[in-house]
Amino acid sequence: MSGTVIRLVIGPQHPALKEPERFILELEGEQVVRAIPRIGYVHRGIEKAMESRTYIQNLYLVERVCGICSHAHSICYTQAIEELLEVEVPPRARYIRTIFAELERINSHLLWLGLIAHEVGFDTFFMYIWRDRELIMDILEELSGNRVHYAVNTIGGVRRDLDHDKASKILKRLEIIEERIKRYIPMLEREQTLLKRTLGIGPLSQIDAIKYGAVGPMARASGVKRDVRKDDPYAAYDELSFNIITLDDGDCFSRIMIRAYEILESIEIIRESLSKLPDGEIRVKVKLAVPPSEALSRVEAPRGELIHYARSNGTDKPERYKIRAPTLANLATFSKILVGAYLADVPVILAGIDPCFSCMDRMQIIDLEKNEKNIWTIEDLRRYAREWYQRR
Amino acid sequence: MVSETLTFLTQILIFPGFIFIIILSFFSEWYVRKLTGKIQNRIGPSYTGVSGILQPIADFIKLLRKEDIVPSTADKLITTIVPILYFSLPLASFSMVPMTNPQALIYFEGDLIFLIFIFTLITSLIFLGGYFSGSIFSIMGSVRAATQLLGYKIPLVFSLLLPAIPASSFSLTEIVEWQQNNLWMIWLQPIGFAVLFTCMLAELEITPFDIPEAETEIVAGWSTEFSGAKLALIRLGKNIQLLLASSLISTLYLGGPEQVWIIPPILILLLKIFLVISLIVFIKNVIARFRIDQVLSGMWKYLIPATIIQFLLIKIMLGV
Repeated sequence: MSGTVIRLVIGPQHPALKEPERFILELEGEQVVRAIPRIGYVHRGIEKAMESRTYIQNLYLVERVCGICSHAHSICYTQAIEELLEVEVPPRARYIRTIFAELERINSHLLWLGLIAHEVGFDTFFMYIWRDRELIMDILEELSGNRVHYAVNTIGGVRRDLDHDKASKILKRLEIIEERIKRYIPMLEREQTLLKRTLGIGPLSQIDAIKYGAVGPMARASGVKRDVRKDDPYAAYDELSFNIITLDDGDCFSRIMIRAYEILESIEIIRESLSKLPDGEIRVKVKLAVPPSEALSRVEAPRGELIHYARSNGTDKPERYKIRAPTLANLATFSKILVGAYLADVPVILAGIDPCFSCMDRMQIIDLEKNEKNIWTIEDLRRYAREWYQRR
Repeated sequence: MVSETLTFLTQILIFPGFIFIIILSFFSEWYVRKLTGKIQNRIGPSYTGVSGILQPIADFIKLLRKEDIVPSTADKLITTIVPILYFSLPLASFSMVPMTNPQALIYFEGDLIFLIFIFTLITSLIFLGGYFSGSIFSIMGSVRAATQLLGYKIPLVFSLLLPAIPASSFSLTEIVEWQQNNLWMIWLQPIGFAVLFTCMLAELEITPFDIPEAETEIVAGWSTEFSGAKLALIRLGKNIQLLLASSLISTLYLGGPEQVWIIPPILILLLKIFLVISLIVFIKNVIARFRIDQVLSGMWKYLIPATIIQFLLIKIMLGV
């Protein structure tokens, strides 16, 4: 196919994207020949803001990095700070963190399953999935008082305990979710129009997944056994038995199925941790001033590996804080999987990595020619903008 | 003479003409939204009027009051004409569809072909409206609409003309009369009905063929740049088209308006129309959207051979 190239701009505001981000697609007819992502629309300066707040204040700030995986961020943050303080978290708190993390994973995966159905024009499935997601939201609200930002983690443990009554409520609702997901899986496997739109779309081979550094369900759908929960266990994952699910095809369909299977696995993890839940304290008291040190903490967020880095200087505020969200790792694969796709498949592929741009946008400029990385201040940005407009 | 003219005018303008059709189209939109809600386990419109029955009218009035924004790159004349024609063409063609009795208000030998012409004209309007909107999304949408036309138009025309073979007439009125004297076309040509139904989904741009306005890909497709009163007219036009398409299916294949016991023919026809609409809504809600190349190859691979087989079958049956 040849002809004139159309430059189609997707975003920053576009129905396929739930958050502002821009993609310039060069199209030949309906086929994408080049894809250029442009990130940075939801940069909120969170890392800088964290440096001017105390460690306790930062707990609430770090949850607001992302609306969906807020617990993953706060687990990652507390782990880093606990490592700096050299504090041991009580076992009960570790189990409660695990339960929340898995509930959040179910929540995030359900949300995504609904969105992908919406992207292929299958709105009924979207409505069904989001109805079921309400059950998880209800559990989380009963446990923590909030539907989105649970604020359950604190440095040295958790803030809220689980009792027997709440545990039985969780188990009851999880049964419903499990039954529904088990009903949806054959539905997804058999629905012809859905298969036609996802099977073999946006393929990412195992080699490419490793090469481009894909993480989370994206990598596991391409057959890469990569999961922080097993590779570098945190919370209570080292005491739980669970499987890492991998699929081999690496197309959009495997990305759908992997999330459906992971929901079932998460349900098992929650059941196991509820049955093993040890007695005891849920938090230990910690000092407010953190001795000078550095720490790196890794967590398997619903979207993939999440990395937090903290450097302390002996005061009650961090000297430097850095967040690497899973979407940034997966974004690199776009340049591979978008090329050659049809325009109709672009939303499916874009949604396929489960992008979370507000997590990702940290405004790091990487100059490929000089191969240097630097963080821009607002002054640099203004100067750059002035120069850029003068050049035009 | 005067009273005859008056009766004719009343029929054209009020019942079963323009006013009746417009009200019916609002009702059908409410029905579609309510049924979609039921299927998707939602409630649907529920505030305006009894269980939200006035919601489509409220939406229409709200859109009429909104600001009309035309992009500077758009062609003003064409973007003004397109919405008006988009809603008035299907409205006008209703006078050729038998409603109250087997005889349509206006009928002549070949009105079926005229209706096919109107349907093609509507797709051309979509192309024009999108192409001159001056937005890349609209252009993509209109190109897709035109590409899709290449796929579904031939089986659509074929399946619309199939009922004319046994009735040996190109007039809707005579096809309805033939069905009432003999049997419903759907029993005689089930394949033709299936093909017509599928192609009508494509003509109306309903899932799985809503490619020209695929929201997640190209925003609202060809109608992205229309706003205010123009958008109101386009939405109304869409409802009327849905009504026209389902009434065509019911008149061509399901027997049209017939007197059953003491129930007037118009009620029977409405029952059939809403049955067809229900089927359309059901299909719309249980499957995902195809891709444009899948539609084209599918149409040429399956639907066109199917119509040819139906044509041969009917010829053999009538020949015997």
